[in-house]
Amino acid sequence: MPEPTPAPVHILVAEDEPLAAMALEDFLSRRGFRVTLAQDGLEAMERHRDDPADAVITDLRMPRMDGRALIRELRSQSATLPLVVMTGFLSMDEGQDDLTSDRWKPLEILRKPVSPQVIVDTLLRLIGRPGGSA
Amino acid sequence: MFGGVEAFFDSSGFIPHGVCLLWRPEILALHVTADVLTGLSYYSIPIALAYFVLKRRDLVFSWVFWLFAAFILACGTTHFYSIWTLWNPDYAVEGVIKAVTAIVSLLTAIALWLLMPKALALPSPNQIAATNVALHREIEVRRQAEQRYASFFNNLAEGLFVIAVLPDGQFVFDTLNPAHARATGIDPDALRGRLVRDAVPPETADAVIERYSACVRAGEPIDYEETLDLPVGRRVWHTVLVPVRDGSGRIVQLLGSSRDITERKQLQEELVQASKLATLGTLAAGMAHEMSQPLNIIRIWAENALSRLRDGETDAGRLDKVLTLISEQTERMGKIIDHMRTFARRDGGGMEPFDPANSIRSAVELVRNQFALENITVNTDITGERCLARGRPLQLEQVILNLLSNAHDAILEWRAAKDGGDPQAGRIAVSMHCDGGHTATIVITDDGGGIDPQILPRIFDPFFTTKEVGKGSGLGLSIGYGIIDAMNGRIEADNVDHPGGGRGVRFTITLPVTRPSSREVERAHA
Repeated sequence: MPEPTPAPVHILVAEDEPLAAMALEDFLSRRGFRVTLAQDGLEAMERHRDDPADAVITDLRMPRMDGRALIRELRSQSATLPLVVMTGFLSMDEGQDDLTSDRWKPLEILRKPVSPQVIVDTLLRLIGRPGGSA
Repeated sequence: MFGGVEAFFDSSGFIPHGVCLLWRPEILALHVTADVLTGLSYYSIPIALAYFVLKRRDLVFSWVFWLFAAFILACGTTHFYSIWTLWNPDYAVEGVIKAVTAIVSLLTAIALWLLMPKALALPSPNQIAATNVALHREIEVRRQAEQRYASFFNNLAEGLFVIAVLPDGQFVFDTLNPAHARATGIDPDALRGRLVRDAVPPETADAVIERYSACVRAGEPIDYEETLDLPVGRRVWHTVLVPVRDGSGRIVQLLGSSRDITERKQLQEELVQASKLATLGTLAAGMAHEMSQPLNIIRIWAENALSRLRDGETDAGRLDKVLTLISEQTERMGKIIDHMRTFARRDGGGMEPFDPANSIRSAVELVRNQFALENITVNTDITGERCLARGRPLQLEQVILNLLSNAHDAILEWRAAKDGGDPQAGRIAVSMHCDGGHTATIVITDDGGGIDPQILPRIFDPFFTTKEVGKGSGLGLSIGYGIIDAMNGRIEADNVDHPGGGRGVRFTITLPVTRPSSREVERAHA
């Protein structure tokens, strides 16, 4: 049942755990998003260059180029690209981790385990599209 | 003259000896008096000798005394017979008496000369007296020594005991000192002279007899730790057994000393536990990260399937796939939990053979992901043949975790100390090499800047820490040292300069190892 969106929103998912990436891709496409998968930061940068995404979901721990480096790169290219971080890292308290500072916004940190519905809601909120949740 | 016995003894042709003396009364009187006195004197001597021999039953060569007695008796008889021949000319009889005397004298003389060396070898009364004095002195010295040792035995705080080893290999309690009696709650009098097997409860007897037998087999002192259930309760002892041999080399006694190390053991265990908990704290973040991965997969798949289900999709094949996947992920989580659980458990078990490589892999696995988040890579390099160390695998894992955690902290501090800029990637290398089944060498190197050479010698001291207050107990390395020491290994630290610039600490653990037997390989894989 596709989401009632005017044009498919393009989401880039950078996640090195294939099982998580596959499920996310399935869930998001069923909600009407167009999804591109990347296994690490470097691949994500390539995909984004070839086919710019409307929002990026990224894991933090990844081989080759990790989530932090990816965020730095993306933010240096665009100040407005919505970013969603999924992390299992425990001590990412408010104010303690650099990623929580305002300079990375629009950026939202979601702690694993993440509900895919919450990801969809967060994406729609960051992109500025109304409603849309199933 | 030689006309038979009768003719031989015929004295009719002779005249009495007195005739030669012209029967002068004064000469006769002189002869008679002299011979009587000499004869009587001679006769008294054998009586004295006989009396002496009969009284001194322990006399050596007593037959010589009897020979002497016979010889002197014979001499006396010749004197008395001389008086007889003054008036009766029985010179043949006198000759026979003299001949007998001669034979006995000759025998005595020969015997005496033959006996001379042996007689000389006999200690003289003076010598015996001197020996006696020396013996008395020695006895006194010994008595004092015995008193001294008895005083040691009775007053020393160390528990001492003596076990007699019977020829058939059984063990008998000989004695135990008051300190041992107090420490064990055993009544020495209840044990003395009893077979170990009968004197104490069967489990205790089995345990101690095994040690006693091991000491006898080894034929040299052994020392060991043992846990025994005694009248005072369950206590841990450090015991030393020393075998004592008799003249023929047979082990006849075991001298034992025992020290109650229950409290020390408990303290040690608590310290190990405390440091483990501290390590556990630093690992909590890593564990949370590890758990969040499968949990994340489960949640996404579950909600995905739920969403499809609510949309009216009932594809059984797809559901099967999702549930299988979820089940696999819970299994993965279960393994993580198991690992943490065994790690947190008090490690009371005994020493066992284990492959140190497994401890290294587990420790590295626990931190690898967490460290990667902070841009610290952990590389492992395990080479050489398979080998087995003796000890507690989780304790070695704890030591390695502690070293990894220290390296991690050092790298972060090193980074913080340098002004800003791109955080340089940290590197920790863990390697193990087994050589020829003798030693395993585990090396953990970081590039966290190294340790001030001045404090390097102190880093294994208890409560020594370079971390700020509240961050480190200062116990990690000292407990690690204790754990490695208990495995008869060594742990050392030094600074290294890396080829590409950069500096760090290198910890080297050396463990004695054996080649695994096929049975042990089987068990390790079980």
